Amino acid sequence: MVLVLALGDLHIPHRAPDLPAKFKSMLVPGKIQHIICTGNLSIKEVHDYLKTLCPDLHITRGEYDEDSRYPETKTLTIGQFKLGLCHGHQVVPWGDLDSLAMLQRQLDVDILVTGHTHQFTAYKHEGGVVINPGSATGAYSNITYDVNPSFVLMDIDGLRVVVYVYELIDGEVKVDKIDFKKTTAATHSAH
Amino acid sequence: MVKKKVPDWLNSSLWSTTPSAASSSTATTDTNIFDHHSPTTASPPLESPINPPLPPTAIRDEEQQQPRHHHNHHHPQKPEIKDKLSKSSIVDDDDNNNIIINNNYSDDNIINNKIIITNNDIRNVDDDESSAEDISKQALLLTELSKKVINMGELRRIASQGIPDGAGIRSTVWKLLLGYLAPDRSLWSSELAKKRSQYKHFKEELLMNPSEIARRLEKTTVLNNDNGKSESRCVLSRSEITHGEHPLSLGKSSVWNQFFQDSEIIEQIDRDVKRTHPDLHFFSGDSSHAKSNQEALRNILTVFAKLNPGIRYVQGMNEILAPLFYIFKNDPDEEMAACAEADTFFCFVELLSGFRDHFCQQLDNSVVGIRSTITRLSQLLKEHDEELWRHLEITTKVNPQFYAFRWITLLLTQEFNLADSLHIWDTLLSDPEGPQDGILLENGSLMVPPVGYKPVQYWTEETLLRVCCAMLILIRRRLLAGDFTSILKLLQNYPPTNISHMLYVANKLRGQPSH
Repeated sequence: MVLVLALGDLHIPHRAPDLPAKFKSMLVPGKIQHIICTGNLSIKEVHDYLKTLCPDLHITRGEYDEDSRYPETKTLTIGQFKLGLCHGHQVVPWGDLDSLAMLQRQLDVDILVTGHTHQFTAYKHEGGVVINPGSATGAYSNITYDVNPSFVLMDIDGLRVVVYVYELIDGEVKVDKIDFKKTTAATHSAH
Repeated sequence: MVKKKVPDWLNSSLWSTTPSAASSSTATTDTNIFDHHSPTTASPPLESPINPPLPPTAIRDEEQQQPRHHHNHHHPQKPEIKDKLSKSSIVDDDDNNNIIINNNYSDDNIINNKIIITNNDIRNVDDDESSAEDISKQALLLTELSKKVINMGELRRIASQGIPDGAGIRSTVWKLLLGYLAPDRSLWSSELAKKRSQYKHFKEELLMNPSEIARRLEKTTVLNNDNGKSESRCVLSRSEITHGEHPLSLGKSSVWNQFFQDSEIIEQIDRDVKRTHPDLHFFSGDSSHAKSNQEALRNILTVFAKLNPGIRYVQGMNEILAPLFYIFKNDPDEEMAACAEADTFFCFVELLSGFRDHFCQQLDNSVVGIRSTITRLSQLLKEHDEELWRHLEITTKVNPQFYAFRWITLLLTQEFNLADSLHIWDTLLSDPEGPQDGILLENGSLMVPPVGYKPVQYWTEETLLRVCCAMLILIRRRLLAGDFTSILKLLQNYPPTNISHMLYVANKLRGQPSH
């Protein structure tokens, strides 16, 4: 039972001052084992804050990140799953499933987490699952101002992942979940 | 060799190694106060040929069937039994029925102890007399245990002299004494089955982590993401969660929230379990046995903490649990050993029930709390040995809390090694005077109580206090000669001692002192 927090695109301080209060009250240290962050924090203070939530922090570089030392992509293994991380501004067209699927195959991961669009999405394709946690602060994106703050918490338990989606809609936190299992057989079966 | 003169107290006949001295010593040199009432007190409830038991170091051949690897790592604090001495093991002053096991003290004031028990060691250095007595005690117990309805009073009487280590007797006797097994043998199998399944149930309910709980709840609502193989690409469907049950939930009733709040306790339990008896292979080390034993301890303590939100887990409970589990797990009967965890849980609950109040901080200052118990110990000491009491309380101002707290709350497990603790617990659990587990009829026999009745444990505390008092009195010379620091040092690292003798003295304290 491993809890992994996935979030990104906070754009603090340029586009948003802070995480919504209701999110902040829920994010307490001691509960989460890993944090994966798609990028665009943008400053070190946010990095430090995330570090207090959980010492195991993985970040990839977004185009507005002030720390240029973050990698472009990252892969890690948690339990039975391989996770891939990338900000997503590098993958054109932005948010396109086919292109992201290509990246996923390149990284050879089961779950790919990307951001940049500031919209929560969760797709499944033969190669695996692509999740976009959206923007945790609701900052405006390159495309639109209409953004709901959102982030994702994954509960990895053996071959099963339960993805809890936290969204702030009209000032209230709404939580949904998505359930999927990893099939042990090769996922690249010819269809 | 030694240059300085051996102090007087060391030369007292109590510690003497020469047979002649031993024969005349009655182990009362340090306990002169008993002299004048030894002829008058009733002899300990023994038949005269049966002497007080030897310390568990004397283990017979036949009983050594089960591996005793753990003994390898006992602290080197055991008295050594010498052949020649045991022959003169004392049955003199008939009502004193003492056995003097000589402790070897070299001239350099260094206690010359040795590790006695090794793997499958047959430590039968003693002569026939004491082993015969051991066999006879074992035989008595076995006879008693094999009856269809066990006479608890009789069992207590025999058990309070110490239970031999072999043949799983202790395991069964303790279960009887703690009320886990009813005196009526025919009920055993059904009761045991019921209790064990209950424990299994507890474990399933309480030890599940929230992911599993969520999964179980979900089995009813089917989510078939896998069956979307026909559609190799799709947006994953979102489903609503029930009752706000998500990992970051701050709700009081949330399974997740409770889980995280418990995790602190679970960590504490884990830490303590790892530290239990680090010298015994049974409990610590890398072997799979040790790991599974630790796992069992962890489970028991966690289930207990969850079932008892008022008291949860307090450091030290692991020490009380350890001997119980050790005995039950080493039961030569395989079926019993396999279910040791469940049995230990219930016996642990029972044992702790008498002492719970010691672990509750709010009750510290109340009538039932630890402070009042320590005061009772003080009173007891004052009654029996006013001089020592005065020296400790008033002259040197040694607050009994400094030493007695650990003695009492942990039932003396930390003061002695495991084997000695077992022996002491035999006496603690089987006080022949106490149990209200039957109605004493006029002809002196005990009417067996109905099934399900449990004996009250409070009298165990009385015995415990007597033993603590005896511990103090036995080293009175050194205490009287010491100052604050040395006294505290002595009492917090209680010197190795002859357990049987100590228990005998404790028993003697039962009556009212005549001074």
